[in-house]
Amino acid sequence: MADSEIETHDVVMIGAGPAALSAAIYTTREDLDTVLFEKGVIGGLAAITDWVDNYPGFVNGIAGLELADGLRGQAERFGADIRLGEVTEIIDQGAYKLLKTTDGDMRAKVVLIATGSDYKKIGVPGEQEFYGRGVHYCATCDGAFYRGKRLVVVGGGNSAVQEAIFLTRFATHIDLLVRSKLKASDILQKGLIEQAGKITVHLETSTDSIIGVDGKVTKVAVTKQGVQSEIDTDGVFVFVGLEPNTKFLAGTAVELDEIGLIKTDAQLQTSIPGVFAAGDVRSGATMQIASATGEGATAALLIRTYLEDRNTAYLAPEAPISELKPLAV
Amino acid sequence: MAKNITIFTTNTCAYCVMVKKWLGSKGFEYQEVNLDTNPERQAEAFEISGQLAVPVTVITKDDDSQEVVVGYNIGKLASAVA
Repeated sequence: MADSEIETHDVVMIGAGPAALSAAIYTTREDLDTVLFEKGVIGGLAAITDWVDNYPGFVNGIAGLELADGLRGQAERFGADIRLGEVTEIIDQGAYKLLKTTDGDMRAKVVLIATGSDYKKIGVPGEQEFYGRGVHYCATCDGAFYRGKRLVVVGGGNSAVQEAIFLTRFATHIDLLVRSKLKASDILQKGLIEQAGKITVHLETSTDSIIGVDGKVTKVAVTKQGVQSEIDTDGVFVFVGLEPNTKFLAGTAVELDEIGLIKTDAQLQTSIPGVFAAGDVRSGATMQIASATGEGATAALLIRTYLEDRNTAYLAPEAPISELKPLAV
Repeated sequence: MAKNITIFTTNTCAYCVMVKKWLGSKGFEYQEVNLDTNPERQAEAFEISGQLAVPVTVITKDDDSQEVVVGYNIGKLASAVA
């Protein structure tokens, strides 16, 4: 296919979470033709978070799904084209980046990678076997199946504690298994204290395996200070940290750090000129929604500057200006 | 081709929103069974999917065969409604 026949855009964003949606609000308002590809949920992890209490501007907090929908609606109002699909490859062609996508080949002057992160697996026996049948990673999706049941939540960070508190609306009791110490914010830890009758916190407790009978989870095997025991449960929800969505970059020149996050310079540009990164997928990210939206806005402004410079770098006339002749009218 | 599509959802499930959005973008109509407002149908969703999870999308084809997709997976949905 000739280059002129390939769908071409000013900016293609990979991901449609808070960072990309915020960036798109800015780029579209600059009249930059902007397409976003999202293979998962529009709004990213924010959309599957029950309640967001620390995003500025919402006195009483806001449901994650509602925040995500607001970001989406605002970006679309200015003309962002959000497509439900996937970018599988980025090929640097200098002035343009060629993208292999589920919508076919596409060219972009600038690419913004904002694919965020997903919840990690624990990697213990039984986790894969009982996935979806007692082992879950989305409390807002699957919590409703555990009305009147006992649950285990694994993790000690903000997500684990927040989702454990959310799950008390369904479950009769929750055992929170924390490998070392609680790392959740003080306000969430206060929430745990308020739910003391319903949530039992087990510190310095490792999760060894998930056990079931007849295809249903019945117990979790744990070790606390060298002593092994089992906890009865009907299901397990896992929130043990984040894993960056960068596997699709394997084999590209985009440089990653030791845990797979994308390295950028101070201009949020990756090792490929014209390819930017923002949000939870970027090395050094704080993994906060407010930071992601801020980085998205910053990326958009830096993209604008890059495009201004790009016009000089790639599109300069071969002859000196003085030798150019006016076009015939 | 899909003759009938039913989606089991919950109020707070973002993946359920995405399945509905994807089906809508492809011009498919569907019936929604919200398990928060119809908890008595949870067992039905489990029986169909074998999983304690939503979204569960049940696609009934022209020959009355059924295909079930659990979760939001564009590839599986596209193949099931084709």
